[in-house]
Amino acid sequence: MATIDGSSIKKLIVACDAGMGSSVMLASTLKKQLAKNGVTVEHSPVASIPSDADVVVTQTNLAERARGVVPGVPVVPFMLFLGDPAVAKLVKAIQNGDTVEF
Amino acid sequence: MSDNESKPLTELLAEASITLDASATGRDDAIRQAGAGLLAVGAIDAGYIDAMIDRENSVSTFMGEGVAIPHGTLAAKDSVKSDALSMVKFPDGVDWDGNDVRIAFGIAAKGNGHIALLSQLATVLMDPEKAEALRDATTVEQVYALLESEDE
Repeated sequence: MATIDGSSIKKLIVACDAGMGSSVMLASTLKKQLAKNGVTVEHSPVASIPSDADVVVTQTNLAERARGVVPGVPVVPFMLFLGDPAVAKLVKAIQNGDTVEF
Repeated sequence: MSDNESKPLTELLAEASITLDASATGRDDAIRQAGAGLLAVGAIDAGYIDAMIDRENSVSTFMGEGVAIPHGTLAAKDSVKSDALSMVKFPDGVDWDGNDVRIAFGIAAKGNGHIALLSQLATVLMDPEKAEALRDATTVEQVYALLESEDE
């Protein structure tokens, strides 16, 4: 369980295995949704998630690997690229500056 | 890296790598067809196609809206010669691990040349009407009109 304060998120990393396709598409969507909130959205292979990330969004079966790469950084796992409830919850928390648990 | 510069859409997603009326016996057959489109334009060597299937076995590339974007693993990047996409449309659908896939976009990425196109694809898929138009496209002109980048 990780507690995330939406107002403290400045750098969001979307991680996938190769950083080649899937994460690029989700990052592009999130970038648009969070443009007004001053959040930097980047995509990255799981193995090279930058350590200054405030939150990592990744597919459920990569979440453990992501936690190992950046211990201490909250990881939000998701199942669906479009309309995933966990991703929607995170976006809303950032937009409203709410604190949420994952 | 010279691969980082943006290529025009018609070069990144070449007409020769678009098939609009394909059928597939299953997911792996669909991935092989998407890989064949990349091979046809010289973007990959054949070994990459097995990596696309490996990757799909570990993490699905199903995106929603009837679209999957099969691509290889980080380890297979050496098999990629240039940034390119292929598009294979299956009007009757393919059973993709329980999801109904109508379009597979094969991705080969060496640099970042393909990112603007993937961003535009994300924009299309976020809009249910545009996503439907893409699934219903019968000409390459319709495909290009939908995927032509609106920003960046």
